[in-house]
Amino acid sequence: MSTADANTTEAERPTQATSNWRNWLEVLEHRVVGLLEWANPILVKETRQALKSKQFLLTFAIVLVACWIVSFAGRAIIGPQIFYIASGQDMLVAYYAILAFPLAVIVPFSAFRSLSAEKEDNTYDLLSITTLSSQQVITGKLGSAILQILIYFSVVSPCIAFTFLLRGVDAVSVALLLGVTLLASIGMSLIGLLAGTMASVRYTQMLLSVGLVLGMAFAFFGAVGVTPELLRESHKMIQDRDFWIGLGGVLTLYLTTFGLLHTAAAAQISFPSENRSTRIRYWMLLQQACFVAWMTVPPLLYPDEPEAVPVLACAAVGIGLIYWYVMGSIMTGEWPHLSRRVQRSLPSSLVGRSLFSWLNPGPASGYVFAVANSGALVALGLITLWANAPFPPFGLSATQISQFMLLGWCYLIIFLGLGRLLVSVLRRVAFVPLAAAFLVHLILMMAAIGVPAVIYSMSSQFRSSGYSLLLATNPFWTLSEVLESGLVSGREMLVYLLPAAAIVTFLLNLRAIGAELSRHRIAAPARVYEEEEELHPHPEPSPTSPWEEDPREPAKV
Amino acid sequence: MTSNPPNRPLIEVRGLHRYFGKTKAVQDMSFKVFPGEVFGYIGPNGAGKTTSMRILATLDEPTYGNAFVDGFSVVDDPDRVRRRLGFMPDYFGAYQNVNVYEYLDFFARSYGLRGAQRTGAIHYVMDFTQLDKLADKPIDGLSKGMKQRLCLGRTMIHDPAVLILDEPAAGLDPRARIELREMIALLAKNGKAVLISSHILTELAEICDRVGIIEQGKLLAVGSVDEISGRAETISKVQVRVLDGTERLITWLTARDDIADIVQKDRGVAFTHEGGPPKQAELLKQLVQAEFAVVDFASKTKSLEDVFLHVTEGRVQ
Ligand SMILES: Nc1ncnc2c1ncn2[C@@H]1O[C@H](COP(=O)(O)OP(=O)(O)OP(=O)(O)O)[C@@H](O)[C@H]1O
Ligand SMILES: [Mg+2]
Repeated sequence: MSTADANTTEAERPTQATSNWRNWLEVLEHRVVGLLEWANPILVKETRQALKSKQFLLTFAIVLVACWIVSFAGRAIIGPQIFYIASGQDMLVAYYAILAFPLAVIVPFSAFRSLSAEKEDNTYDLLSITTLSSQQVITGKLGSAILQILIYFSVVSPCIAFTFLLRGVDAVSVALLLGVTLLASIGMSLIGLLAGTMASVRYTQMLLSVGLVLGMAFAFFGAVGVTPELLRESHKMIQDRDFWIGLGGVLTLYLTTFGLLHTAAAAQISFPSENRSTRIRYWMLLQQACFVAWMTVPPLLYPDEPEAVPVLACAAVGIGLIYWYVMGSIMTGEWPHLSRRVQRSLPSSLVGRSLFSWLNPGPASGYVFAVANSGALVALGLITLWANAPFPPFGLSATQISQFMLLGWCYLIIFLGLGRLLVSVLRRVAFVPLAAAFLVHLILMMAAIGVPAVIYSMSSQFRSSGYSLLLATNPFWTLSEVLESGLVSGREMLVYLLPAAAIVTFLLNLRAIGAELSRHRIAAPARVYEEEEELHPHPEPSPTSPWEEDPREPAKV
Repeated sequence: MTSNPPNRPLIEVRGLHRYFGKTKAVQDMSFKVFPGEVFGYIGPNGAGKTTSMRILATLDEPTYGNAFVDGFSVVDDPDRVRRRLGFMPDYFGAYQNVNVYEYLDFFARSYGLRGAQRTGAIHYVMDFTQLDKLADKPIDGLSKGMKQRLCLGRTMIHDPAVLILDEPAAGLDPRARIELREMIALLAKNGKAVLISSHILTELAEICDRVGIIEQGKLLAVGSVDEISGRAETISKVQVRVLDGTERLITWLTARDDIADIVQKDRGVAFTHEGGPPKQAELLKQLVQAEFAVVDFASKTKSLEDVFLHVTEGRVQ
């Protein structure tokens, strides 16, 4: 192109405007090419593939044809009244259904399939030994899902613009609907990818795909089902301040969960000696911090309803305990063995070790991590409760709420601790992967709930008496009993029994905790330092401020 | 990236073990490969060649032991190993709707090559493997030999110092085989360490500086092709016929260390003898002294193929 420019003749001179235009295009092209240079390789490759793929073109064509059909059919059914009645909503719902199908089903499912397809085509090995990091692989796969989503959007959006002309629809509602759909579809694609990283065996792959398809069908019909109602109510909702604040909360939850799942998916496909755990734990910390921050919002919005605060604190602690129980039952299934690679980056100072050891991979550190975080939440809940003690909450005493929080925490300590012990015993005789360890926790919980339930169902004497101490192993029943009628008539001893059991469980885990805490940092091999030196040579020491002596000059005596 | 001192091996395998349940696919394997060297892996089916190569390529983990590429452990520093290693598996991983250029482009990008560096690498590789005329051809439509070339091209796209090739010559015609051999020789000349596996001994004999014979996960013999051929000269197939007392002859032979693979044939006994011609003369003398009525004593030096058959026992796990 440059030679052509150099040979511009006199005759071409007058077309100054076009050559400007061409220059501008050239700059643009250059920019785009430059950008593509740094784009994720998987995204580039899959875009190229999609443009040539028959399946993609077919879906694209079907969506396009469906839009046309809806447009013409709608026009025909509504007839000449189309310009007078507010028919936009019905048309919008029809278009939305067309858009939602690929977004809720096709894209997430192909994201799920994309990793297993790589395995089936024998390309996964080739991909995983390149220098692409596992995060980049997940991001690239997600990127190509997002690209597909955007393409479907671009097909349907002209039709949606058409519904504006028909009245009955306001722009903010539509934008909101589409925005939420976009985020939901991206989130579902990420879940599809995460499921794809877990599906290593044909059997689990089948199970997961059935689960995913059910979930996606549910999301699709749910979305299409509630949309008409939403659109009818939307003009009221969007004028409500609390709606937008609530949306902010949901968005925070979405973003932090997105980060967590992305990290988890990347961890799944990373090399076994890699640290797969610490980053996920950082995301959990962030999620907890965001949760606590958002919990302060309702009291700020409604300062004249202080009696709601203890109830809110109670609910928040309940949610937090369930969260940490689930996360804890995953973390306590990690391997106690630390790879040499991870050991290189263990915290080395005493302060660092006591604060950050709980972020290291390992079942016992995960146990302490879950216990400490849920404990912090319970402490915050108690402080909130006692700060608002003068206001009696709806029929509940402050004692009941604080008992609920503390006993709930005890249950968490007991169940996670026993589960971890069980897994470590099982690991002496069998291979127990993470998923199986999770299952062990689940079975433990089911047994704790189920065994007393069976005894209850067999004896009519128990059945008639309602709650009894026999049900102490059922955390849900016990805690709801605490809130409903308080621990009275002989059940007060639970207040001592459960904490004692929690302390004993924790002590039983102490040996493993100690073992994980005593792991020391090891030095990286000399060869690693050698290469680091080659790749990033130390900058020559130079004065960092004008009044500093130049270290390169010999010191004056 | 090839700036390593000549005394440091580019590949070092140290006491490597890999078990799959009860199957011991690799057992206590150790060897080194230096820059500019081609190391051949010979072994029957199921010997553990692919398994040990996959460990070196950071696709699998050893049960015990370790392996190093340019001084970096494949277990602890897989990221650093991957930067300097190219692995060509015994299968071809094809993407749909991708042509030769795009395929190479994808892997070049995945190895972090950018801009002119990337296009330069792609063109060099296409030139090297003579794929330049096929740049726009969809890879689904390539012939086996062309795929094999593309696979080699992909393996060397980031100019790795270490190449691990698992049966690269399988399915190639004689001409393509010769060309592949030339390519590998050229790569070695450029200072790369090449680990290559094959079933075909003659093929390895010509390009390998050293070979390792492996069976049931164990490295049975390592040495240059000459050393192993030298061993072939000292090993011979001997056939002896005696007038009577064949049973006694077999018992007598079984008791000796230098004799193996004893088989009773219709008119005598066949076995392999290790030690070369002087020892054979000795053996004949001892036979006569032991009062065997020897009527026939024939011997034949073994080929490399025979050594392979002698060293390995054809056991399958
Ligand atoms: N993923 C696996 N699971 C179980 N066993 C395996 C696995 N991979 C390899 N094996 C076993 O390990 C042994 C060595 O296999 P390997 O593929 O390394 O042999 P090979 O030398 O490459 O054979 P071939 O010449 O046939 O390619 C075999 O017994 C095989 O069955
Ligand atoms: Mg093999």
